[in-house]
Amino acid sequence: MRPRASPVLRPAGFDPHGAGPVLALFPQLVVSGIATGMLYALIALSMTVGYRATTVVNFGHGDMVMAGAYAVFVLLGSGMPFLPAMVLALALLFAFGVLTQRVFMQPIIAGPHLSLAIMALSIGYAVRGGARLEWGSEVTTLTRPYPQDAFMVGSVVFTTDDLVISGVVLGLLLALFVVFHLTPIGRLIQAIFQSQRGAALVGINVHAFHGMMWGAGAALGAAGGVLLALIVPLSPDMGVWTLLRGFAAMTLGGFGSLHGAVIGGLLLGIMEKLLGFYVSTVFIDITAYLVTILVLLIRPSGLFGRQASIRV
Amino acid sequence: MPEEMLVAKGVEAGYPNKQILFGVDFSVGRSEVVALLGANGSGKSTALNTISGFVRPLAGSIRFDGAEIAGMPPHQIFRRGVIQVSQARDLFPDMTVEENLLLGAWVRGGETATLLEGLYRSFPRLAERKTQMVRLMSGGEQQMVAIGRALMGRPKILLLDEPSGGLAPTFVNEIAAIIATLKKTGIAMVIIEQNIKLALSVADRFLILRDGRVTQRHDISAGAADEKEIVRSIYL
Ligand SMILES: Nc1ncnc2c1ncn2[C@@H]1O[C@H](COP(=O)(O)OP(=O)(O)O)[C@@H](O)[C@H]1O
Ligand SMILES: [Mg+2]
Repeated sequence: MRPRASPVLRPAGFDPHGAGPVLALFPQLVVSGIATGMLYALIALSMTVGYRATTVVNFGHGDMVMAGAYAVFVLLGSGMPFLPAMVLALALLFAFGVLTQRVFMQPIIAGPHLSLAIMALSIGYAVRGGARLEWGSEVTTLTRPYPQDAFMVGSVVFTTDDLVISGVVLGLLLALFVVFHLTPIGRLIQAIFQSQRGAALVGINVHAFHGMMWGAGAALGAAGGVLLALIVPLSPDMGVWTLLRGFAAMTLGGFGSLHGAVIGGLLLGIMEKLLGFYVSTVFIDITAYLVTILVLLIRPSGLFGRQASIRV
Repeated sequence: MPEEMLVAKGVEAGYPNKQILFGVDFSVGRSEVVALLGANGSGKSTALNTISGFVRPLAGSIRFDGAEIAGMPPHQIFRRGVIQVSQARDLFPDMTVEENLLLGAWVRGGETATLLEGLYRSFPRLAERKTQMVRLMSGGEQQMVAIGRALMGRPKILLLDEPSGGLAPTFVNEIAAIIATLKKTGIAMVIIEQNIKLALSVADRFLILRDGRVTQRHDISAGAADEKEIVRSIYL
């Protein structure tokens, strides 16, 4: 993650590589890692929702994340306030997700998994291509709907970005938890996740459900995209970046596990910050790859995995 | 011959590049129990799945209560009261018995509480285990949950795919007793069984499927069937 320059300056005389402060910085790194990790958690969770429903990894998911950010960008440009713009963007991405699943994925669902993966990838590329045509050469940013600020609690700096991102993600996670565990719809979703065939045997329209879950995944991913766009510039290629982080978080947590995705995302965020600071800044960019490779080699089922392998 | 409820005519079905059924005809009357016998791989499950909508027929007609259901998706066929208990049972493993049963009634709705009470009365074993996680139960108990879940959908016709398959002998007897009780309630059934004794004890008629074709039909009320003879025509 490359946050825009923070307005917060380090305390005077602060040498991050001095012997004492190195350890003193640990809580700070964990706190910023959690904020980033929350974002990864949301994106990994949004990927897991679609994967659990259809057992197909949406390789175009990163581009849904990107599309969500641009949708808000466009709506803000038309003069809409931030919150309605975000809600409308999520609704649009939900509809787009449902449509993609029903029009492009469902007709080939019985075919080889590879065809499905390539289809999803191609849809993502098409969306990305569209974004490149429109915004390929400009660097754009989303204007924060809140003042950019920071304050200290003890020796740890909290930015409003950290708080907004963590707060929104926590709110979404809580809402999802309640829906999933405490409502009849949640019970239905659990049933379908546990046995698609069983769900069809009790008369549930599983195909329609697949579409809804792809929609829900796209909308959640779009929420992640909007939050991400608060701290990094918008770019048509931001999906690649997100997809890889999402994958790493899912793999770490255990592919297909909902809480695994969340915990994997948080751990990845923290690891990036710690390795990036204590080892080398290179790690900020490669931790996701390293985590994916190591987990697949050492413990393919991840922390909470249900399956030992990923079928593409 | 009772009034016909389910009528399949010239049904051809299969999987991509692999046709399994080659013109299957049969019918089930109201309150009638028809056994579908045949060797492994003869296409029995495929036939049942074609009725339920899980396998799309390539040709032929399947009428239920006068309406054509061939090619409809499974959830629409379910709504008409055609409910399958599949060979793999396909329960919700990480849910309790009661949660599984309630999901069986989800779509059709109605007097769920009364239905559940009635079910517990006729399956006391399910009542005892209602808070137990399904994945922790024995195969026989799971089979009971599967049958119970199907009954919660208030089927007009129940399609049972090898209900005694892979069960310990005590459970086979228990399942046989359950099916016999169901028959007394007057529900129509199609039952696939490897256990020919069980099948013959409840069926009014049976057919033998071989390589996707019906090779024999027998009306049991017209005369007792010879079990050895049946086994011979299935496997030889
Ligand atoms: N999903 C499937 N895809 C491809 N072939 C299948 C599938 N299910 C069953 N078959 C094949 O269809 C044939 C009939 O299977 P099935 O109807 O299950 O037979 P039975 O229930 O009589 O044992 C078998 O050769 C089996 O391998
Ligand atoms: Mg079978």
